[in-house]
Amino acid sequence: MMPSAHYQRDRCVTGITGLDEILRGGIPYGSTVLVAGTCGSGKTTLCMEFLTNGARNGEACAHFSATEPSVKLLENVRQFDFFDMRMVDQGLINVFDMDVLFSWLGMTKSTFELSDIDAMVKSITDIVNTIGVTRLVIDSVTTLCYKIPSEQLIRDFLFKLGKALATLGCTALLVSEITSSGAKAYWSSFGVEEAILDGIIVLGDVERMGHLLRFVQVVKMRGTSHARAKYALELTPKGVMLTPMLKWGAVND
Amino acid sequence: MATTANFDSDDEEFYGEMASIGSPKFDTILTGSPLNNGSVPRGFTMLAIGNQGAGMDLFAKQFAAVAEDSENTILVSTAESQAEILSLYKRYDWPTDIMVRTMGEEYNQNVLERDLQASKFRLEGFSMEDIQRLAQTRFVENEVHDYLTDLTSQMTSLPQYFRAAVDNLDFFFARNDTSRVISMLRMIQAHTQLQRGVLLLNVSSDMVDKSVERQLYAICDIVMEFEVGMLGTDFETRMVIRKFRNGPENLKAISFRVTKDEAITPETVDRIA
Repeated sequence: MMPSAHYQRDRCVTGITGLDEILRGGIPYGSTVLVAGTCGSGKTTLCMEFLTNGARNGEACAHFSATEPSVKLLENVRQFDFFDMRMVDQGLINVFDMDVLFSWLGMTKSTFELSDIDAMVKSITDIVNTIGVTRLVIDSVTTLCYKIPSEQLIRDFLFKLGKALATLGCTALLVSEITSSGAKAYWSSFGVEEAILDGIIVLGDVERMGHLLRFVQVVKMRGTSHARAKYALELTPKGVMLTPMLKWGAVND
Repeated sequence: MATTANFDSDDEEFYGEMASIGSPKFDTILTGSPLNNGSVPRGFTMLAIGNQGAGMDLFAKQFAAVAEDSENTILVSTAESQAEILSLYKRYDWPTDIMVRTMGEEYNQNVLERDLQASKFRLEGFSMEDIQRLAQTRFVENEVHDYLTDLTSQMTSLPQYFRAAVDNLDFFFARNDTSRVISMLRMIQAHTQLQRGVLLLNVSSDMVDKSVERQLYAICDIVMEFEVGMLGTDFETRMVIRKFRNGPENLKAISFRVTKDEAITPETVDRIA
């Protein structure tokens, strides 16, 4: 059966300069997207800008911080013009420390069992449901997956989480830490995240004319057509800016 | 930890070389004379091992109740509350001003309550109020408390001629690596020896395997096995002294009963082997 030529899924407009154009209007609502990148590639900033733009439109947003204390995260993000601390105070951006959540759920062991994973998914979806979260970020999902002892359980976790969030109409960005953007076959640390999730946005560094440039590339996005080219990513005081990258001159393109 | 200790001559005279085991009648049986000050050489660590219900917990309280100096005496209980212990001490008219540490009670408050709350969150989920509180909580509260380190620290800071009873070690074996518990007990035993304290440790025989039991026997200077059995329609309880460092003549099996006035008190004396 041919898809209807007129039907187009509603979009969650990221508000990030250049990204909505790449995605032909934004991320399809309810998608769970992997934001994979090397350290310092701008993953956290991109995600915080995504939340801030939602909060500015009155949407309830949630950020789950697993790699750094939320106090530090908020201090770092305050330097950007796009961020307004009042959004946190007003409860539009709700920042949660994953270690506090784990402590509340009695998840104190070094590895998670299936019951722990279910408790974690239930808690996150509870929060989304209770406060009506429409945009969510987990930074990073890699840190959580390190505590999950098998690929099958990681797959279960991501599948259950993605399904629950999609049902609630929540668009989620899951940050994934990768060691090298040169590894073309893998966009995630465990290799299973990329297959389960709806989209993959890769961030990394590329050397061009002797300069190390940040780039962003949408590798996969279910429910929309999108450009697959690399775009130069600039971290400015105003936030993330994407510009098309010329095709010549790349060393390890 | 200090390796040498100097003792005041007044203290040496006051405390003497021997300490009571907790009952003058037991002391008399062990030393063979009612004139001695006690039957346990100062610096000794004693182990009471046996089945639940054999009287070890009461024996520990009775041992602590001797309290030559209340400020030097501590009872560590892992199963009972302060109120229960106080009530028993009053019943036997034992001194109530000794230090009592109820680790079981502390554990219930700090850990089990949190576990209960965690199961509630897992089962019922978060309310709006919980979510708001979670979003405002930036640090993990009440890190898991290490009660074994706490016990070791408290015991090794007790002053000279202390009297201490730990009822019982099951709590620590259940929550820590066995080797860690043994290592901590060695430190406590060394402190007891150096500071001429007397220490009683209780452990259930079904809590530790044979190899751990052997290590405990090696650490402790006196080992008492508590047994309980049926004799007709009555219970028969007895204490078998399996080890007495430098005092093999003290190896005995002593039947005892619990009376309203004297708590644990011996009935007859049997010599083993």
